Parts: sequence; structure tokens; C-alpha cells
Amino acid sequence: MKPFTYLSPTTVEEAISFYGQHSETAKFMAGGTDVIVKVKEGWMEPDFLISLKRIKEMSELHKNEATKELSIGALVTHATLEKSLMIKNEYPIIYDAVSNIGSLQVRNVGTIGGNLINAVPSADGAVPMIALDGVALLHGPDGERSSDVKDLFLAPYKTILKPGEILKKITIPAQAPHTGSAYTKFGRRAAMELPLVGIGVLLTLDDDLETCTRARIVLGVAGPTPMRAFDAENYLVGKKINEDLLIEAGKLAADESKVRDSVRGKAWHRREMVRVHVKRMGLKCMNIIRANN
Amino acid sequence: MSNTKREFSVVGKRIPKLDAAQKAMGRAAYIQDIKLPQMLYGKILYSKYASANIIKIDTSKARALPGVHAVLTGEDVPEKMKMGFIKDNPPIKKGKVSCFRDEVAAVAAISPEIAKKALDLIEVEYEELEGIFDPERAMEKDSPLVHDHLKSNVLKMPWDIHYGDVEKAEKESAFVVEDRFTTTWVTHCCMGTSGAVALFDASENLTIYTNTQIPSLAQKDFLEALKAMGLKNKRVRVIKPTIGGGFGSKLDTYAYEHIAILLAYACRKPVKMVFDRVEEFKATSTRQPTIIYIKQGCDKTGKLTFRDMRMVLDNGGHTSWGATTPSVMLMPISSLYTVKNVKYTAKCVYTNNTYSQAMRGYGNPQATFAIESSIDMLAEKAGIDRIEFRKINKNHAGEETPQGLKITSCGLAECIESVEKELDFKDKSEKGVGTGIASLIHVGGGARIYGSDGCGAILKMDDYGKVDIFTGGTDMGQGLDNITAQIVAEELGLLAEDINVVHSDTDICPWDVGAHASRSTFVAGNAALGAAKKVKKKIQDFASKLFETPAEEIELKDKMVFVTGNPEKNMPIGKLLRKAHFSPGGNMLMAEHFYDPDNQNMGKELKGNMSMTYSFGAHGAKVKVDEETGKVEVLEYVAAHDVGRAINPLLLEGQVYGGVVMGLGYALTEEVTVANGEIMNANFRDYKLFTAKDAVKIKAPVIETDDKDGPFGAKGIGEPGCVPTAPAIANAIYNAVGVRIKDLPITPEKILAALKEKNG
Ligand SMILES: Cc1cc2nc3c(=O)[nH]c(=O)nc-3n(C[C@H](O)[C@H](O)[C@H](O)COP(=O)(O)OP(=O)(O)OC[C@H]3O[C@@H](n4cnc5c(N)ncnc54)[C@H](O)[C@@H]3O)c2cc1C
Repeated sequence: MKPFTYLSPTTVEEAISFYGQHSETAKFMAGGTDVIVKVKEGWMEPDFLISLKRIKEMSELHKNEATKELSIGALVTHATLEKSLMIKNEYPIIYDAVSNIGSLQVRNVGTIGGNLINAVPSADGAVPMIALDGVALLHGPDGERSSDVKDLFLAPYKTILKPGEILKKITIPAQAPHTGSAYTKFGRRAAMELPLVGIGVLLTLDDDLETCTRARIVLGVAGPTPMRAFDAENYLVGKKINEDLLIEAGKLAADESKVRDSVRGKAWHRREMVRVHVKRMGLKCMNIIRANN
Repeated sequence: MSNTKREFSVVGKRIPKLDAAQKAMGRAAYIQDIKLPQMLYGKILYSKYASANIIKIDTSKARALPGVHAVLTGEDVPEKMKMGFIKDNPPIKKGKVSCFRDEVAAVAAISPEIAKKALDLIEVEYEELEGIFDPERAMEKDSPLVHDHLKSNVLKMPWDIHYGDVEKAEKESAFVVEDRFTTTWVTHCCMGTSGAVALFDASENLTIYTNTQIPSLAQKDFLEALKAMGLKNKRVRVIKPTIGGGFGSKLDTYAYEHIAILLAYACRKPVKMVFDRVEEFKATSTRQPTIIYIKQGCDKTGKLTFRDMRMVLDNGGHTSWGATTPSVMLMPISSLYTVKNVKYTAKCVYTNNTYSQAMRGYGNPQATFAIESSIDMLAEKAGIDRIEFRKINKNHAGEETPQGLKITSCGLAECIESVEKELDFKDKSEKGVGTGIASLIHVGGGARIYGSDGCGAILKMDDYGKVDIFTGGTDMGQGLDNITAQIVAEELGLLAEDINVVHSDTDICPWDVGAHASRSTFVAGNAALGAAKKVKKKIQDFASKLFETPAEEIELKDKMVFVTGNPEKNMPIGKLLRKAHFSPGGNMLMAEHFYDPDNQNMGKELKGNMSMTYSFGAHGAKVKVDEETGKVEVLEYVAAHDVGRAINPLLLEGQVYGGVVMGLGYALTEEVTVANGEIMNANFRDYKLFTAKDAVKIKAPVIETDDKDGPFGAKGIGEPGCVPTAPAIANAIYNAVGVRIKDLPITPEKILAALKEKNG
């Protein structure tokens, strides 16, 4: 492992200015569960690691009771999200996704921001953020800007972030009533497992509790970046949801997915898993909506 | 003497592993922790190809790197320095490489980082050759040869066996089933990675700290290495640090050990080699992959008539002990259930894949997977309940099997019954839920593979009633330290904590053939017991004079010596020892014992009673199969074993739990993924070892048959836990959803594909 200097700024501005001083030789770090692994393996050899951990404002998890907007600081750990009853009750898709990341130790230090910016197709945390129409707030040398989470990813390990730019937080707009959401990762083991596919579904129903007004079907490991299955989503919107429709949506999502053969699993099986779990997560959403009504 | 009625003080107690606190506090010294003055760090450069000629190696840049002390290539290895059980594998190759893990160069430097950098500076020019990766293809006449000097890729090995008359028995059978099964590469996954530190003294004697399960045989290998290096009549001292798991992986000596020796000699400084996890996956040996053809028959009543098995083993690029596993496979093949007519042929075939080594069960899990899957199929064909079928064919005490195994104690029937009691085999209430059962036989009283199957022990007592016992046996985490302490304490009327078990150093410990074949409790246990008995006799003799009572009437219990029936006549053992020590002429209480069981080497005929006794077991599983995804959930698991006697039930359960979880991984998730000879998943993310969260609740009923030859009646239990697990699971999956998966591991993909085929 190549030695590095560890910097720990306390404000976003300071962090950005550290980056300005060292530019390419520096790397941001949050929980370090991706970064440190890469440094140790020699895949990444920064001279400076700029830890963001001491930037207090980035660790906040907060729901604005007036606007119902949820704000998740980039440094919020998976464990914090997992333990929040508000998250578990109101955003079950987030709970489903983060509570099965790695192991307890990994969840205690790994952050949602790191999970997004690391930008692997298997990032469990990316799927719920996309499904919930999350917006990423970025802050860099040129000031602030924002982007839908779904547009953050360009390719494996590549995001739209410019050098020196920091993800400050993700905001989730108010959820419509009669919304249910759920995520599952299909893998071989119960822990320490990257998904073979990750499947997130969010459904909003009309007051009749049948007609779908909004659908989000988001897939992990089904392409180079986390992706939405638009055909499947569009198919559901405007229709009265039942199991047959969800089965059909599963088929459409499976067709849309760009799953591949790899050492970890065969494409045909991944496609099957998309098909089956879109249906299952859809049914789970329906159950949640009905239970909350 | 029968122990059944005997009351025990220390034997049978759940005493936690003696070094548990030491380990939990991080104080146990593993090979990683060992640091010697002036120590250098060695690293190995591996082949870039599965099969290639080495045209040229340029080490000049590596040698020029500051901090590098030595760079070795195949040219620097003495001609006669060879490893493996047919001694055909030099620690660094020259001329040709025949698998990716072949060593082509090695360096020693002042830091691991510099050593690694030096590896990058070594320039090797290869001429890539066509590789051969399918053993069945490698058996064909026109296949490329893995080793040019051999005429064929098939090893010259003796396994072509026929007991009774299989052809005749087949004709007379009422029912016959036939099928093909395969098992793949899996690996030990020791938490402590491999490593060694080698150093020479001024007289060129070698000391080597190394993770080994065979200190005495390793010593012999290293003596031969020294001889090959021109160092005759030298001494070799093997010191074992705390070992972080063995599972058979340390039953041979390896290139990294020989390279450490060569580098230490070249530099005249201690050299440490420690594997990182990727190396551990890529450069250590696996379990043998097998292709198994099996045919079995029974008569109308369900009695087995014959078993005919043919196996092809992928031997990989070189020969380690993996190639001898057919000898152990022969045991379940000839002797699991009573079957008179048995045929078995096995061929080990060189390929350009990785090569194999001993791994818990030593071939038995592979053979038992095929046998027990096929038994289920045969029972179904005969229309007989699968449990009843097994009972009809159960082994029993007094039986001599076609191979010549003499079954003394046998609790197989009790094991099956106890699994039946713990698991509801009739329950078919829920869709996708099913049950399965499979049995096992394994050596439980040593295994004579070498000239000696013995183990020595030296015991001495101090002035205070404490014991030091120096055993040839090896503790690698499995608990031989406890077993030894409990056996000695029981015999001498002491507590386990009074016994210091020293098992770490060939300079002070006697010879032992190694921690293999589930033999340590039985053989090392008997050695310790023998030494304890001799010391006890001395104590009794001394006390007899003191108390003026016959020696037979002297008892040792609760750290006291007293007269039977007259407990007022007593003395603390410590006091008696001091009396003995300081009496005129002096008297230290010490004894040694070498125990070599009366078992037989299988001769040319491949017949003989290879173990003094055999362990039996039955495993039952209840699983739930998700028919839309192919995923299997293990709902319940029962693993019943006939262990003779549980010397320490806590550690015994630990062995069973660990074995079962290893077996479940073998059944469901574990697989070294190999593509054209290259290992693709050399990490714990992609090698699907069960995690704590995947582990299932296991019930482990213990059947005690009090074996007449075992120490306090005990038989071996190190390996059985992982032997019948895969077939129990495969049988349960079949029972649940009607598809039989014949290739391990049983992945969701395979199940779903089979379900789709079945359901059209
Ligand atoms: C054993 C193990 C198991 C794992 N299991 C899973 C799993 O099941 N599912 C899963 O999705 N992931 C898993 N991971 C990956 C990892 O833990 C997660 O991706 C985690 O969320 C990363 O967060 P972090 O804070 O540790 O990121 P870091 O390692 O600190 O950073 C990751 C990347 O993001 C950048 N970065 C971090 N924060 C910011 C920010 N605020 N602004 C800009 N850039 C930033 C860093 O520069 C780096 O490039 C696992 C990792 C390990 C080691």
C-alpha cells in the first residue's frame, strides 16, 4: 500500500480548497469502505485522502414536516438509515436496500453518498434513491448545482461529478399518498453479498387504491449503471393493478434489462430474477399500500 | 475394559478450547506475527499462462533494485529438490509451466513492498502452448501432453478393483440405477493464510516456522531438500506457530516453504513468506474435482447387490496428495452399507488446471455424494421408503467389508433413528419443502497410509501436581490440546487446566504421522493416555509404599492420591510428587509412550483393515426450494454421529457444526471458478463461503458406542461433519421439487434450469 496523507476538513469549503491544492493527487473519502480497499489493493494510489467525515452538515438525516421533503446527508451511514423508524415506515425501499448491505461493520461506516459516488452497477443504495426521484445536491469549485440521482451515473465507477465536486446531500420530494415501495437483492448469500440483480419497485395508486398513477421500476446490475425500466413503468401507469399486470411488467422489465453473463451468474437467470422479483416487489408495494390505508 | 458404566471427572466435560482467551485477545502468535532479527521477505512470481514454455527470464532489473537480496529462478533450484508425493514437482519451474500457479521466480527483499516491486521487474518471455482443461478430453490419445516426458496424461495409479462378482450380481438384481455425477473445485478457506519463516544457523542447520499439519513428515521433506542442496547430515527443526485452520490444506510441503529455505540459504538471513488472500486462493491446493459414473443394484427386498463406480479425477498440472484420495474413496465405495460385490476404477488425469490436496474427508465427500444420491434413486425405483432402504443395508458391528475393513463398534442404525426422531420426514405440508437423508462411514481409529500410523507422547510432572505433555499431535484449532489435556487429567485425577500441552516443536515433541484422517483424538489420544498410565503406575507404586497398601488400591482423583475404600489415607498429588522428588536417590515422574495402532496398510490387492475402528453418521436436512428462483433455504439440519465417546462435547459439536457448514457450502454455494485454467474468483466476495448469517441451526445428536480401542472409547470426528451433507441436501431438494441435481454446487441456476426442463 502506498502511504498517503490524511486530511480532515470540517467544512465543505475547506474540503474543496484542499482538493484545489492537491487536485488529481487527492481523493475524497467518506466511510472508506470502497476507497481503502482500493488503496490497499493498489488500484488507487492517492497522495492525499480528504476525509469528509467531520463535515457536520453532511451527516444530517432530516424530514421537513412542512414540505414532507426528506433530506439525506451524503455522510449518513447505512446503519443510521437502517435504524431510523421513520425510514423503515415511510421509505421501506430504503430500509430494504441498506439493511442488507455487506455486514453490520460495513453498514456502520459505509455511507449513502459513498455508495452513489462509487458508482458501481451493484450499488444497493442507488436503486431506492432513483425510485424515490431523489435529487443530488453537488458542491464544487464552481459552486452548487443539482442533478436527479438517476442522471448521476455515466459508467461503472464514473459519475457526472467534476474534479473537486462533493455530493452534499440527496433530497427526496414529498411522496404522494398511497405509495408503496420495496427492494430486494437477489444473491447467493445472506450477507457480504453484492446483488446478482437488485430490483426496486415503487407504486403510487389513485384514491381508488387500484389505479396506478406512478410507477418506478429500477434495476441494479442490469446494465453498466443502475437503470429504470421505462417500458414496464409506462405499462403500469393508468391501469388497475393486479397480479397479472405485475407479471407482465416483470416480463417487460426483464426484456428491457441489459443483464450479462459473468463469472458470478448467467444472463438468462438474472433476467428471470428481474421478471420474478419485479412481480414480487410490486405485490409487496400493494400490500404496503393496503396495510397503510 | 468397558468404560460405559464409568464415572468421568474430566472426560465428557464441555471445557472451552484452552487457547480461546489467548486467541480472542489477539495474543496467539500466528505465522503473520513472527518477526526475527534481520528477517527478509520473500515473494513468488507465478506463471502468466496455463501452459507455456519459458523462453527466457531476465532478472537483472529486479536484482538491481535497492533492498533486494536474492532473486531465484528454476535454474537456481537443485535438480533433486522436488515436492509432492511422487516427488516430481520442483518448487520453481524451469523450461515449462503447466498451470497458472506454477512458480517461475522468487525474490527476497528487506520489505514486502520492495519484494513485490522486484517481481514486477522480472521479465519472463513465454511461448504459450495449447492447454488442456477437461480431464476426459485429456485422456484421449490425441490430447496435448501436460508433461512431455510422460506418454500419457493419465497417472500410473493402481485403482482398478473388483471384489466379488459385479457382472453376475447385476444380472441377478431386481433393480438397477445408473448415473453420472460431478463435483468441482472447492478450497479450504483457512482464516490464517499460509506462510513460513526459514533460517539457518551458523552450522547450516535449518529452523522453519511453518503452518503444517505434518511436522514430522515436513521435517523429513525439508531434510531431503537440504540434501538436494548439498547440505548433508544437518538438522531440521520445525516449529508450528498458532495455526488458523488446516482442513487438510497443510498435509504436504509446498513451494513457498521450499522457496523460503532456498532464499534463506542464499541470503544467510531469515526469510518470511506469507500469502495474501488472493495467493491463498490461487496458489494453494483444492479438493479434487471428480466425474463419477455409478451403477448400483438391489434385490426385490431392497438388499444391495452390487456397486460399480468409475471415476475420473482432474489432477491438475502437478501431483500433490490429492491424487491419493481414491484410496480413501474406496472406503465408502466398498463399505458404506453392506454390499458384497464392488467394482471401482479411478483415473487421475493431468490437465493444465490447478492441482489438489487433502481436504476434510479426503475424497469421501465426493464418493458419498454419488453413492447416497444414487441410493435414493435406487430406493425409489425399488419402491421402498428411503430410510427403510438404508436400514435394510446398514452396517453392523462384527462385519468385515469386501475391502477388509473390520467393523468393531457401529452406531449407524442409531444415527439414522436419531435423525428420524429429530426431523419429520413425513411433513409435506408446504409446497417446495422437502427432506433428505444420507449416511457416512469414515476412518475413526487412525488410517495406515505410511509405514507408521503412530504418535509419540512424553509426559513429565513437576513438584506441584502440574503436567507438561509433549505430543507429536498437532492442534490447528480443532482442539487436540483440550483432548490431550482432558485424557491426561482424567487418568491422573487432575483438572484439564493442570495439563500444559506442548505440540509446537519437533525439537521437543516426538514423532507423529500428522493431523489427518480424523486420527488425532484416537492416536494422539492413545499416546497421551499410554504415557499417563505409565506415570500413574509410578505414582501408585510410590504411594503404595507410603501408605503400605497394594498399588492396585491407590486411586487418583480431584488432585488427591488416596486408598480405595479408605479415603482418610490420602495425600495431595503435589505433596506426593515432592516427596518422591526429594526422597533419597530422587525420583522425577516422567514417562513416554509411542502408540501405533494395529491397523493394516492396504497392500497391492488394495485390501486391508486400514483403521482400528470406523466412525458412522447420518445427516438429515429439511429444505425449502423457491420454485421461481431456484434458491434453497435450509430449514432444519440434523447431523448424528457415532463418535465412540465424546471426550469434549463442546468441541465435538464445534467439529460437527463446522463440518456441516463446510458441507453446506460444498452442496450449495462454494466453487472455485476456473476458466481455461485460470481462477476467476480469488476473493471472499465471489467465492461463496457461507457467512454467519447463512449458517443454519444444526442439531448434533451424539451416539456413544464406547469403542474398545479408543481412548476412553473415543473415535475420530474431525472430518465426518462434511461428508454426507451434499447428498442429504440434494436428496431433500429432489424430495421437495422433484429435480435431481447431479453436479455440485447445486446453484439456483441449476435448479431453475432443471425445473424448467421438467415442467416444459
Ligand atoms: C465487505 C464489503 C461489503 C460490501 N457490501 C456491499 C453491498 O452489499 N452493497 C453495496 O452496495 N455496497 C457494498 N459495499 C461497498 C461499500 O461499502 C458501499 O458502496 C458504501 O456505501 C461506500 O460508502 P463509503 O462511505 O465507505 O465510501 P468511500 O469508500 O469513502 O467512497 C467511495 C467513493 O465515493 C467517493 N465519495 C464518497 N463520499 C463522497 C461525497 N460526499 N462526495 C463526493 N465523493 C464522495 C470517494 O471518493 C470514493 O470514490 C461493500 C464493501 C465492503 C468492503
